[in-house]
Amino acid sequence: MDWVVQALNGLSMAALLFFLASGFTLSFGLTRVANMAHGVFYLLGGYLGLSAFKVTGSFWLALVVGGAGTIAVSYLCERYLIRRTGENELAQVLLTVGIVYVIADIALFIWGGDSLTIPPPAFAEGPMDLPGGMVYPKYRLLLIVFGVIVGGLLWFLYKRTQLGAIVRAGVDNREMVNAIGINIVRLFGLIFSLAAFLAGMSGVVGGAFIGLYPGAEWEILILALVVVIVGGMGSLGGAILGSLIVGLVDSYGRWLFPELAHFMVFGPMAILLLFRPSGLFGREA
Amino acid sequence: MGSRILFVVMIILALLAPQVLDVFWVNTLIQILCLGLLALSVDLLLGQTGIFPFGQGAFFAVAAYTVAILQVRLGQPTYLAAPAGLAAAVILALVYGLAVRTSGVYFLLVTMAMGHIVWGVSVRWVALSGGDNGIGNIPYPQIGSFVIKGASPYYYVVLTVVVLCMLGYRVLIRSPFGVTLRGIRESESRMRALGYSVGAHKYVAFLISGALAGLAGVLYVYFNRLVSPSTASLHVSVEAALMVIIGGSGTIFGPFIGSAVILILRNYVSGHLVQWMTVMGLVFIVTVLWAPDGLLGLVRRIRIKESGRLRQKGSRRA
Repeated sequence: MDWVVQALNGLSMAALLFFLASGFTLSFGLTRVANMAHGVFYLLGGYLGLSAFKVTGSFWLALVVGGAGTIAVSYLCERYLIRRTGENELAQVLLTVGIVYVIADIALFIWGGDSLTIPPPAFAEGPMDLPGGMVYPKYRLLLIVFGVIVGGLLWFLYKRTQLGAIVRAGVDNREMVNAIGINIVRLFGLIFSLAAFLAGMSGVVGGAFIGLYPGAEWEILILALVVVIVGGMGSLGGAILGSLIVGLVDSYGRWLFPELAHFMVFGPMAILLLFRPSGLFGREA
Repeated sequence: MGSRILFVVMIILALLAPQVLDVFWVNTLIQILCLGLLALSVDLLLGQTGIFPFGQGAFFAVAAYTVAILQVRLGQPTYLAAPAGLAAAVILALVYGLAVRTSGVYFLLVTMAMGHIVWGVSVRWVALSGGDNGIGNIPYPQIGSFVIKGASPYYYVVLTVVVLCMLGYRVLIRSPFGVTLRGIRESESRMRALGYSVGAHKYVAFLISGALAGLAGVLYVYFNRLVSPSTASLHVSVEAALMVIIGGSGTIFGPFIGSAVILILRNYVSGHLVQWMTVMGLVFIVTVLWAPDGLLGLVRRIRIKESGRLRQKGSRRA
């Protein structure tokens, strides 16, 4: 039975990682900006959601405030800082690291250094009986359902709508997309905001699950990066498969070899790199 | 010629420093040299080879932890522990060198994730690393019955090692191997077409860089006499990259200048302001947006402008 419980743990972690990695991979695929601030957007979204929860008492409002607040901050960063770096990748990485330092420090000043959690919505509080005599937290099951819904919505947006088609075209050849009259700068801004929304929202979701604390911005970023490296940059399918792999390996790893938990996640990544440097669904860089 | 005179002047100043400065500043100088060496290891890849490592702290930390474990836990002498620390870093680099199979920003992200493993192990594997408390009470380096105790004597040890590394580095980047690395930086495909084994060159550069970072870790741990997960944190790797950019990449002095700027700023600001992380973040942002070629680059740009103006004057006269 423990194996099933660990599988559920892994799937709920995978859902959380997917929210983060999908935004990162889509915005990276299109804009080629490796946004190190993605992790701090997660933390910021969580903290904003927590404050919104304290005022209103509603988890769903916290989700909206966390997502929307993060969009606002990310828009300012993109419009006034990141856009000025052009296509210099190293500059973008260092710049976004600088943004992480500043936002994380301000967050520490406002919300303090303790680990904080957001209470889950009332109907998902407490444990639930599963067939086979298992007891499992309701909230984690909700997270899995939520992950499937968001994944489905993103998949539809990406594969079945005009916007998705434009984004896919932009990932392939952004100069061409620009040349046929689509405002690529606005498109970048839009996708960047979508990624920030997903990150901020996942901060609220994760805040009710693994908590919010200084340092989480890097830990969660690295896990999301591993997902994206395993799945392949710019691929939504890769983000889905990558989060499942990393979520499950992480969960079983923590359970079976607690001291080597980090090795367990990074091991598959290293092996994969040997054979497919660009990830499962990635194309050659 | 000018750079040679500058080098000699700096050596003399560095030799005299402990006679003039108090212990606080001698300690700061030791830190500058250790982290400057780490930044130099970054620059071998960034400035010479054109790939951006973001996990260099891993080699630094593994070397430091190896020394600490051998000296404190196993009671081994310095002449065994220090080379073992360096060897551990090289072994790790042999494995992490896999990362050179990727390029551009992928390489950066992969090395960053790899660097994070070391941090993860240092936090979780409590029996080995001491967890969050780390390993303290590392003895002073001792060879035979000769103990190197106190800031000034150890400063001279660090200075000697660092200067030797700088001279060796100078030979390395002027050798055919170094020229090949710069060729790879300029155009990988062209070097491949010319018959150079690009992957092997990158791998060897990665190993040398890992060794330099490991050496920096060994020097640092005998200074700090405590090693904890913060030594392995991402901040070390990230700030080493920033030091290179601030000082100016592709130079030998640049990384040390960057290290001096960052450490002096941090030691000063953190003494006066709780929000020194914000200040560091702003330094990142300002450097990238306004001084992307670093301080040496800024000086060079001004010089070129000046000499251009002189040439214009000259031609007008003729």
